[in-house]
Amino acid sequence: MAVLSIKNLFIEYQTKSGTVKAVEDVSFDVEENESLGIVGESGCGKSTLGTAILRLLPQNAKITGKILLDGVNLLELDNESMRKIRGKDIAMIFQDPMTSLNPIMRVRDHFFELFKVHNPDMKKNEMIKIASEALESVGVDSKRLDNYPFEFSGGMRQRVMIALSIALKPKVLIADEPTTALDVVVQEQIMQVLKNLMKTKNMSIILITHDMGIVAEMAERVAVMYAGNLVELGEIHELYNNPLHPYTRMLLESIPNIKLDDMDLKFIPGSPPDLKNPPKGCKYYPRCPFAKDICKEKDPKTKKIGNRIVKCWLYGDENE
Amino acid sequence: MKTYILTRIGLSIPMILIILTIVFFVLRVLPGNPVLAMLGPKAPPSVVKAMEHQMGLDKPILVQYFDYLKDIAHGNFGQSTVTGMPVLKELMQKFPATLELTIFAMIVAVFIGIFYGTLAAYKLGSPLDVSARIYSIFVYSFPVFWFGLMLQLIFGVWLHWLPVSGESSPFMTPDPTHTGLYVVDAIINGQWDVLKDSLEHLILPSLTLGIVISSIFVRMVRANVVLTLSQQFITAARARGVKEKTVLFRHALKNALPPILTIMGLQFALLLGGAVLTEVTFSWPGIGSYLVSRIHARDFTAIQGTIVFFAIFVAIISILVDVINAWINPRVRY
Ligand SMILES: Nc1ncnc2c1ncn2[C@@H]1O[C@H](COP(=O)(O)OP(=O)(O)OP(=O)(O)O)[C@@H](O)[C@H]1O
Ligand code: SF4
Ligand SMILES: [Mg+2]
Repeated sequence: MAVLSIKNLFIEYQTKSGTVKAVEDVSFDVEENESLGIVGESGCGKSTLGTAILRLLPQNAKITGKILLDGVNLLELDNESMRKIRGKDIAMIFQDPMTSLNPIMRVRDHFFELFKVHNPDMKKNEMIKIASEALESVGVDSKRLDNYPFEFSGGMRQRVMIALSIALKPKVLIADEPTTALDVVVQEQIMQVLKNLMKTKNMSIILITHDMGIVAEMAERVAVMYAGNLVELGEIHELYNNPLHPYTRMLLESIPNIKLDDMDLKFIPGSPPDLKNPPKGCKYYPRCPFAKDICKEKDPKTKKIGNRIVKCWLYGDENE
Repeated sequence: MKTYILTRIGLSIPMILIILTIVFFVLRVLPGNPVLAMLGPKAPPSVVKAMEHQMGLDKPILVQYFDYLKDIAHGNFGQSTVTGMPVLKELMQKFPATLELTIFAMIVAVFIGIFYGTLAAYKLGSPLDVSARIYSIFVYSFPVFWFGLMLQLIFGVWLHWLPVSGESSPFMTPDPTHTGLYVVDAIINGQWDVLKDSLEHLILPSLTLGIVISSIFVRMVRANVVLTLSQQFITAARARGVKEKTVLFRHALKNALPPILTIMGLQFALLLGGAVLTEVTFSWPGIGSYLVSRIHARDFTAIQGTIVFFAIFVAIISILVDVINAWINPRVRY
């Protein structure tokens, strides 16, 4: 059964210059213990989607649809109940480890605060024990509990963040570009840490990234987003070997080492549409080499093909 | 931490020296002869000469300057040309009243500044935030004495709720004195009627001064908390289920404090200026009133001594601020 189920999610930002449609009619499930990748270009709404799951979007965001955690719609919870889910059932790590920890709090106090928030009766030695275990499990010496964030490198800080987020054994971990701000060697180390965690802990991971290579390495299933839409979702090998959506093909084309015989696209001109004034039909239409007449007029419906989901007029019947 | 404090104290010595030098030379070039002010314009020249010699005013100016530095280093601020008393002794008598007023004004200002500023930052763009911005611009433009007079008029003259002048009513001073701070002494002695009387006298002057300086605090706290609230670690704290109140005060405000404290420390001189005006408005028997009365009497030693005293006081406060900053912010300490 799915731990987390997103149903018909729409998210808009109200701004002075207009409404940004950051997420449009997105639905997908996250199964128990699975790792789901979410990929797409910068600005396609990945962070918005991830942050919405914890209901941490800024005030100007309007959100409709359903986010079900074990069948409970998070969007209908009162603030206090939602707060208790954060950090305990669903945890999140962020792109920039340099600024994710409070600079004037010791690492230890980050852990203690987390524990106290969710279990006021926890004893101090128990807190130290759990915090130490969490740190060791991501390869950080538990002696460093007494250190301040500025005494760690970027990679080590991200490990601390990961330790913090898994300390209470959440059901779902959302990782929003956890390695983007790090250099390549450290990136690889952090990926290794996350992989180990997935093997040893009962936990689902939503891995948000713009890097197809990372998804290929980490995820079992992958959701591809374009301009606020989920355009394709499938099992990782199937999707790699046989991408259905033209945008997925372009993304795959953009990573080295992966050959797709039936493609001769080397470069796709243009950039994602303005989300304040998206095209009327398919959002990818202006850049799509396979576009048909109908693509310009009508937004394609989301279709299920086997266990693949795809949103493109190339599949299914135009007249349905 | 210890070396940090010692370095910080060492660094403030040149600053105090510079101020001492400026005070010395400015008072020398100012028009008006202190001896004539003391003896009256009709004093015979021979008496004036003798007096000048006694005060060392006939020595070369550089010699005078080094004598002056030496005296201050020994805690000798000279003798008042009006009363003949040591200036430092007079200042120490007046200081507790000023300190008491300043502390209560600070409490008012910090309280208003922290809460109003933080909440405004939290509810950015809300009516509360707009009101905070209007408050800080509006109140900043209040002249201290005008605002003090308004409070006196409303709460003293019309409503008869509070006394409008002095530090206490007749026969309402704490006895015996320990610190010179009426509120503290009254508590130590358990003289509750005296305590009530002192607090009543404190309310209007400290509100006047506190509200006027709170305008700067509100603005500073708001701006700095807005900045920290936008940082990633705030979202990260929320993502761990931390309560909003904790996010706001423990994470956002505490991180915003170092710049706020630094600016507050710099503003402290301004606060003393405000204290002088407040003291005069409320006939508060502190250093401010003392300074003004000695300016009228052209008591140069007293004026010089008071300014030097203020300068050292400001230097001490700025050291304190830096130490508190270092204590909050580990990066400064290490
Ligand atoms: N607070 C906000 N107010 C208005 N618009 C916003 C806000 N936050 C994000 N957006 C807009 O919403 C869209 C989606 O942003 P989002 O940050 O979710 O994208 P992303 O896929 O995470 O991009 P990146 O790879 O750059 O992190 C973008 O067009 C962005 O400009
Ligand atoms: S719907 Fe049309 S324009 Fe959109 S991706 Fe499919 S083929 Fe291209
Ligand atoms: Mg993002």
